[in-house]
Amino acid sequence: MDDEERILAALERTLRREGYRLLRARSGDEALRLLDAEPVDAILSDHKMPGPSGLELLERAAARWPGTARILISGWPEEIAADRMRALGIHALVPKPWDARQLRATLREVLGGR
Amino acid sequence: MSHMGSSAEAVLHSLHTALLVLDADGRVTVTNPPAAHILDEPEDAIVGRSIWDWFPDVPRGELALARTLREGVRCRGVEQVLTRRDGTRIPIGLSCGPLPGASGTPPGAVVTFQELSGIRRLQRQMLQAEKLASVGQLAAGVAHEINNPMGFIHANLFQIEEYWDELRRVWAAVGPLRKAALAGEPEQARAAAEHLEALARDTDVEFLLEDVVKAVRESQEGAERIRHIVQDLRSFADHGGDELMPADVNACLDSIARIVGPAMKHAVVLRKEYGDLPSIRCRPSQLKQVFMNLLVNAHQAVEERVRATGGQGTIELRTETAPGEVRVRILDDGVGLAPGVVDRIFEPFFTTRPVGEAMGLGLSTSYHIVRAHGGTIRAAPRPEGGCEVEVCLPADGPESEASA
Repeated sequence: MDDEERILAALERTLRREGYRLLRARSGDEALRLLDAEPVDAILSDHKMPGPSGLELLERAAARWPGTARILISGWPEEIAADRMRALGIHALVPKPWDARQLRATLREVLGGR
Repeated sequence: MSHMGSSAEAVLHSLHTALLVLDADGRVTVTNPPAAHILDEPEDAIVGRSIWDWFPDVPRGELALARTLREGVRCRGVEQVLTRRDGTRIPIGLSCGPLPGASGTPPGAVVTFQELSGIRRLQRQMLQAEKLASVGQLAAGVAHEINNPMGFIHANLFQIEEYWDELRRVWAAVGPLRKAALAGEPEQARAAAEHLEALARDTDVEFLLEDVVKAVRESQEGAERIRHIVQDLRSFADHGGDELMPADVNACLDSIARIVGPAMKHAVVLRKEYGDLPSIRCRPSQLKQVFMNLLVNAHQAVEERVRATGGQGTIELRTETAPGEVRVRILDDGVGLAPGVVDRIFEPFFTTRPVGEAMGLGLSTSYHIVRAHGGTIRAAPRPEGGCEVEVCLPADGPESEASA
């Protein structure tokens, strides 16, 4: 999830060969609607978003779909406190710009053979 | 100082303020070391001289001092330029009050003054510091705005490289096919063609060929966005923009909105309603500084309100023409202005933000810039909550060439 179309397109390129089915959302509210419609294995969300922030979205998702892996992307990962991440049960923090190999490895690890 | 008591003399000598005592004709009867320092003459050369000697180019009637001597009126903190004997001109702040004359003699005056050059320099430095502070806020917005295109350009470039490796593997399978075909060996050619086809299918060549074009195009667009941001930033930082020149106020406002808007987007929806404006004579870089300050204030007010009530806020940027002027209005639905604040927000160092968060110079600087443009700026609470700031600028620019 990202409010920037171009970022979504680039993320899809990075993950194209990974064998996932990718769903796009342009806002936290849209993401929640998608999640209501069908369960997912992992959520990859940008932090700074209009409406609920990425952290808020992942917090809500953690409460309702605890089995979902939650990954946050942020241009300023150092601004997000580690204890807050742990408290919200966020599994990984990916910097933006991301390293394609690292992001693929992170997702594989977080999904653990799902 | 012959006719003064020794303790009074001691007081005058330890005083840091420059002091002159004048008789009814404006002749100096008493002075002290700070006055001698500013006037750059020994004390005994000053005593007995006429005060008007130091103000040769000011008509006597216009000096506040003359009114004190004539009518006994006090004056405080009047700015004046004095001319030293060697011709150097020094800006001073001057206060004076009447001094009753001893038994029957007409009243004189006590004059105190200080040099303003230091204060003026300080004021200039403060304006510069304020500009730097807003550049700091700008930088945070810019960093965010550049990082997004950077993110996808970076990922796309990596992807194009991967695509390229895959396409090269497919191209490598073309060689054997060509060789077999040219040598007239149909069996080998068929085998090579089948291998090539399988490889092309696995690699999804059709997709790659199309997607490379898309990835390149999107990245170019991202690079173009970064180029614009850098341009906006340069025009803000440019000292050249301090010159009076015809400029489009909509463009000034929008360049700031483009830079700071993205950093606000999690709390604020920015609405723009720009009217058709004639270009006006102004200092574009200074106007941008004003818009920057107003937008940052509006954002802080909205952010504070959103923290308390949740949801999102709106900032509206409206521009319109009126006879002889251009109007810019910035409306927000933030926390609004507390009673008693409205009258003070344009004062230097007045801030409602916690200590250390703001210098309280943003709006007073804005006020000075707009006034130097011959315009007006006012802020008012909106009945539905939030605040409205209106900036009116004369279409033909400031009357004098005086700098802000």
